[in-house]
Amino acid sequence: MASSPSAPKTRPRPLSPHLEIYRPTLTMAMSIVHRITGVGLYIGVLLLAWFLIALSSDATTFATFSSFIRSFVGQLLLLGFTWSLFHHMLGGVRHALWDSGIGLDHPLRERLAQATLIGGIALTIITWIIGYTVR
Amino acid sequence: MPTSFRTPLGRVRALGAARLGTEDFWRIRVTSLALIPLSIAFVIIVLTVVHKDYNGARAVMSEPLPAVLVLLFVLAGLYHTEIGMRSVIVDYVHGALREWALIANSCAAVALGLACAYAVLRIGFV
Repeated sequence: MASSPSAPKTRPRPLSPHLEIYRPTLTMAMSIVHRITGVGLYIGVLLLAWFLIALSSDATTFATFSSFIRSFVGQLLLLGFTWSLFHHMLGGVRHALWDSGIGLDHPLRERLAQATLIGGIALTIITWIIGYTVR
Repeated sequence: MPTSFRTPLGRVRALGAARLGTEDFWRIRVTSLALIPLSIAFVIIVLTVVHKDYNGARAVMSEPLPAVLVLLFVLAGLYHTEIGMRSVIVDYVHGALREWALIANSCAAVALGLACAYAVLRIGFV
């Protein structure tokens, strides 16, 4: 580091261009959303763990979970969990395509980003429609 | 003195700056591939239990197929999440807090995995 006694006084090392240099792009936004949804899924698994533990306990414990998940906050968290799961999953497919060398060029790259965004929202809406209508 | 015939270059070649090579890269991709069908299965299982009461949900989760699929989803998911979260922490958390964050991440993943596995098995066997 700079405080090292043996290091001579030099100019700061050149840094590669970073986020604030570039014009924001869709793929850039999708990259950070992929991370955010990934972190969000951690919270989703927390909800899942609560569900499973409550279900493995007794009806009273399960009722506490049940009333929480049916509350406004619970439904919002569940909606976020659903969208995060689908968005992150489609993002993963996109990454798998890139790993195979497919979709790195301009037009397809943008289309894949749009498809991930729209697909994630669409699958979430479809799942919630099924969840609220089919019994 | 070095006790190996391998040259320093030979020891680090293909391992990169983190000395672990592409191990995490590969594992996150293998788990992500497994998680595509497992996530779809998980969503379907949730949709089948979402309107059920305690006994109904327990009856579904006592079946071997949903139980094993949820177990696989949780374990593959947490393995994947631990690696993913670790790379997020390494990128954004600096200083001494980083070590604590990494420890918390590993502990949380193991604890959540064990809690979910215990619960699923208890539902099936008790």
